[in-house]
Amino acid sequence: MDKVLRIDVGAEGGPKAAEKPLGEYAGLGGRALTSAIVSKEVPPLCHPLGEDNKLIIAPGLLSGTTAAMSGRLSVGCKSPLTGTIKEANSGGQAAQVLARLGYAAIVLEGKPKDDTLYKVFINKDGVTITPDNNLKMLGNYDLVDKMKAEFGDKITCISIGPAGEMKMSNSTVAITDMELRPTRHAARGGVGAVMGAKGIKVIVLDDTGMGMRSPKDPEKFKKANNAWVEGLKKHPVTGEGLPAYGTNILANIINEAGAYPTKNFMWGRFEDCSKISGETQAETETARGGKATHGCHRGCIIQCSGIYVDKDGHYLTKQPEYETVWAHGANCGINDLDSIAMLDRLDDDYGLDTIEMGSTIGVAMDAGVAEFGDAEAAINLVKEVGKGTPLGRILGSGTAVTGKVFGVERVPVVKGQALPAYDPRGIQGIGVTYATSTMGADHTSGYAIATNILKVGGYVDPLKPEGQIELSRNLQIATAAVDSTGMCLFIAFAVLDQPDTFQALIDMLNAFYDLSLTADDVTELGKSILKKERDFNTRAGFTAEHDRLPEFFKKEPLPSHNLTFQVKDEDLDTLYNW
Amino acid sequence: MTKLFLIVPDSLIRRFLLILQQGFALKVHVGCTVEELLCQQLGLSPEYLEERIQTIFLDGNPIDDVTSAYVRSGSTIALSAALPGLAGATLRKGGYYAPLRSQISYKQANYTEAAHEGLVFLKLFNLSLKELGPVFLSQGVLVDGKSLSDFFRAQLRDFWEDCRVAEMDGERITPMKLREITWQEQYVFLRVSTR
Repeated sequence: MDKVLRIDVGAEGGPKAAEKPLGEYAGLGGRALTSAIVSKEVPPLCHPLGEDNKLIIAPGLLSGTTAAMSGRLSVGCKSPLTGTIKEANSGGQAAQVLARLGYAAIVLEGKPKDDTLYKVFINKDGVTITPDNNLKMLGNYDLVDKMKAEFGDKITCISIGPAGEMKMSNSTVAITDMELRPTRHAARGGVGAVMGAKGIKVIVLDDTGMGMRSPKDPEKFKKANNAWVEGLKKHPVTGEGLPAYGTNILANIINEAGAYPTKNFMWGRFEDCSKISGETQAETETARGGKATHGCHRGCIIQCSGIYVDKDGHYLTKQPEYETVWAHGANCGINDLDSIAMLDRLDDDYGLDTIEMGSTIGVAMDAGVAEFGDAEAAINLVKEVGKGTPLGRILGSGTAVTGKVFGVERVPVVKGQALPAYDPRGIQGIGVTYATSTMGADHTSGYAIATNILKVGGYVDPLKPEGQIELSRNLQIATAAVDSTGMCLFIAFAVLDQPDTFQALIDMLNAFYDLSLTADDVTELGKSILKKERDFNTRAGFTAEHDRLPEFFKKEPLPSHNLTFQVKDEDLDTLYNW
Repeated sequence: MTKLFLIVPDSLIRRFLLILQQGFALKVHVGCTVEELLCQQLGLSPEYLEERIQTIFLDGNPIDDVTSAYVRSGSTIALSAALPGLAGATLRKGGYYAPLRSQISYKQANYTEAAHEGLVFLKLFNLSLKELGPVFLSQGVLVDGKSLSDFFRAQLRDFWEDCRVAEMDGERITPMKLREITWQEQYVFLRVSTR
């Protein structure tokens, strides 16, 4: 994994690929690598869909090895949705396969000469780029079927659906899973539109003939990986809760906390939450012959996903995640799991971020475009997006644009990106991360809950009012570091509670690369990533005024707890002081 | 109040658990702490409460100390095992990240109430539902009549074929008959066991 594949899509005669050494980017992976390249090579004021933006696809430092949970893929660029730097990451098979093929990153750069659509095929023998306009406007499912027919079933696909081709600000890069279905997505920030702007429909990977990446010290690596697996399996979240119920295990609890955004953030509790909870979802899947426990890539031992089948037992989609069930469910007043699963399927097929899409529909419902709770109307709205009708184009531009077009005041976005499934008036510390993240409102920016072990930023006194700022800062630093390893963020729970499991992760990195990293080094890596991202945003014109939640969170008390967001602006402005 | 007793195979217990996540009522002695209610009255071991129940809500407020949170008549208590995500860690009782939700944390009441009989509402989620649900079902719980009617109407043929015994107010009835009943009353006493 010591080379970068650069594809100049504007080259004479069509896109040209060239392998380059990692050079100054050596030692970086995942988000650290995507953000380093964007920060150095992309002019911050460029148009996100223009010649100067780049799309970087990078596996993590441990991807392609036998390390459990190392299958996250980072996709970075300047975001068409937010105008900020963006790293969206995804599970699926691609990170492992790309790393085994030896690539630290693929960089799509330049501007196509015309609107020809290309497919890229990469295997051990090299790279082939072919024009294929027959792929135009295919959904991800049909596209993958075509690729399977052409290249066989040992492949992995990185692709865009119609939303990416139409360069919608809500558009994803899809990654196929173990069953070769396009169910995993680098979803946030409109990264699919940047791939669409480069004229690349699909990158097909085949690692046949390539082995696992070899560590510098195999014995130490094996020992550390065993300790790592043991730590994940013995923890009640990673070993029991997530495998049994998936991420939607959170629905009942967040609802009980009164922080489950309902009907476009008007309420904090959804009266039909139990109909769409993780417990009900798992039972529904199991009773119909689907699966409530399943991984999204080989080497996943947490198995937080599943297979959702319809009433007749036929595959419909992967198990919709907590954020998806919330966005299309409670946020739109929809209480029917089958409808939510259908919306998830359509999102995956068109290449849409489920959080952004659900939030957009919630705003549209608030505007009276459809009634809250009308599942059929919601499905039809997503179909409008897939077809690219004028209404669909508006909705596909995201929540902020939809709010403006329909004159809605309650528009839950930060830096143009929709808020995820935790109302910041209920859990205010998460609101700090939403407001200040370099990525726009993003729950995963402050997800890696390992800060008390990392001691990032020193000891935090939880009794001090500024504790929420400090905790959020530390969480964001830790998350940036984890995002660089290729590790799934869900490892964080075991790492939080079990110092020996965190040490096992560091030991794996050290054994693989013959390093002697300490927890402090991991902290420094996280800080350096955030610093680069923040600097890019500053040069792109973002100021402290953009690190704010929408006004309604400060003015409209959330029913049940009757709270507004109370963290002061001047406190938010101290987040990057370290 | 209608009293319903069912005998079903293990495989059907899972479905009844879904009713319990919505909450059920129990007649207990209120005017006590959460710990006293759960351990002394409902029989949870202190170890289970300490280690397995990681998140507890009292009337929608996450609590950090079970020995000081105070149960009143009509209180709703929700129990959950460990949860993922920053939100999961934040809501954990006495957790490091509790300050992130300080605005909704349970604040100790400045009054007490003499112990007396009353109803409390219990919600069981995720692994707590799986582990404690069958025990509560076998002892009997008070469930909302409409929810129970909806539950029976939603069941498919396999449920009715596998349901072994149904007794209503002491009278044996054909299980399928339960589909036709619409309970108007607030509570039905439901007991479900495997033998």
